[in-house]
Amino acid sequence: MTAIGALGAVTANVRPVKPRQRGKVVATLLVLAAITVWAGLGVQIDLPEIVANFSNAVGNVVQLTQPDYGFFPKTIPALVETVDMAVIATVIGSAISLPIAFFASRATNPNTWLLMGLRFVMNLIRSIPDILLAAILVAVVGVGALPGIMALVIFNIGIIVKLVSEALDGEDTGPHEAALAAGASWLKAGRSAMLPQILPAYASQVLYTFEINIRASTVIGLVGAGGLGILIDNVRSFFRYHELSLIILEILLLVVLLESFSAWLRKRLI
Amino acid sequence: MADIQFNHVGVKYPNGFVGLSDVTLDIPAGSMVGVVGLSGAGKSTLIRSINGLVPISSGELNVGDHRLSNARGRELRQLRSEVGMIFQSFNLARRTTVLNNVLMGRLHHTSAWRSLLGAWQHDDVELAMSALERVEIVSKAYEKASSLSGGQQQRVAIARTLAQQPQIVLADEPVASLDPPTSHVVMRDLQRINADLGITVIVNLHFLDLARTYCTRLIGMREGRVVFDGAGADADERVFESIYGRSLTAADVLEAKAEL
Repeated sequence: MTAIGALGAVTANVRPVKPRQRGKVVATLLVLAAITVWAGLGVQIDLPEIVANFSNAVGNVVQLTQPDYGFFPKTIPALVETVDMAVIATVIGSAISLPIAFFASRATNPNTWLLMGLRFVMNLIRSIPDILLAAILVAVVGVGALPGIMALVIFNIGIIVKLVSEALDGEDTGPHEAALAAGASWLKAGRSAMLPQILPAYASQVLYTFEINIRASTVIGLVGAGGLGILIDNVRSFFRYHELSLIILEILLLVVLLESFSAWLRKRLI
Repeated sequence: MADIQFNHVGVKYPNGFVGLSDVTLDIPAGSMVGVVGLSGAGKSTLIRSINGLVPISSGELNVGDHRLSNARGRELRQLRSEVGMIFQSFNLARRTTVLNNVLMGRLHHTSAWRSLLGAWQHDDVELAMSALERVEIVSKAYEKASSLSGGQQQRVAIARTLAQQPQIVLADEPVASLDPPTSHVVMRDLQRINADLGITVIVNLHFLDLARTYCTRLIGMREGRVVFDGAGADADERVFESIYGRSLTAADVLEAKAEL
């Protein structure tokens, strides 16, 4: 009893009053609302316009709810191409990303200049939208799946390097220090002590990237980079909404199926 | 032989904290030295300066043929390969096998491409296995490090150090995360390494009785300075007060017998 008395002086052992946060919360919400309204005014959102043009939209929406299933055989090659592109891009992109990630983490790269340089390049890559990348590459190497795959690979490197290097940053550096203390170079220590620790995180990020690729590869085709996107562009420009509707349905099914497959795989891996 | 000589060594951290000030010590090869003191007294800094994990800021520190203040890059790695280190939190890569962890002791002697591919040389695997045999844990060689108990993990860490075939072993609070019986097992392992292999062992300890039992020489530290240096038997109540700034209590001793 004397020990407790000695430890907690009278003033230190009084329960504190719960700090009030409500004012801050209300203020934050008000500021957020103000920013949203201001941004809406900035891009000139015209709500009455939506109501005025509603009748135009109804026709299209009705067509979109009636998929033309007879169109299915013609979509198969594009569907397969989309999946192929996503698979190839994921494999190549994740293979290139793994070593780069080690040079982009403070935990495994002591060279600040190289680290900063790499992180800058990765930020640059991530700031380019995938569809813009695809458009540029289509202009360079021509229409088809190749520019699509290249765009996805670059896009994937940006994502995986960031996520895996952050996993490395958050990892306990004790084993790495032990390897360094045994006379290993940073490269060898990273390979032996850090790689096994982040492998599950890496596998999980690769699968996540694969899911992104499935969705992205349907869209980048809009600029001519292969897959379902090209088909979408064709039917849409001829206002064949029954066929567009089928393609959207296919994308939905594909994404749901592959994402649940990858989620299942991720659970088994980790 | 790898004698260690501290000559008026000082360590100042970038944040201004003085880790060591004016430390002069001569630790001949083959010693079994215990370093005791409160946390923040500079025990850890003393040990980490010997393999260059903490750079010294003044004075002169020689380990064998190496002078620490000049050692960089390749020379520093050469020195570190001759000095093993054991940590309080074991520092094993927990998601890989026990054997892979022990093989990390061979990284210095393994070429870059072999370490990248994990293509270890047969001799190195043999060395790692016999190191595991020495700490009597070879049956766990292919198990994940995370599946082992704390005491077992620390013995794997000792095996990793032995795989280096070091001349010196540094142990930074090696038993602080272990229960008393396991602590004695690990301390006995360290004692055997010193007695059987003639390796210099320098071990940081929180408990004075452990240091007295297992070490032939005791170094007491306080506020970055060496305040006691002598045989364990000479460390009486007065010495204890100079190290800890108060008299000995039951909280300072670890009373338990070794159990396997």
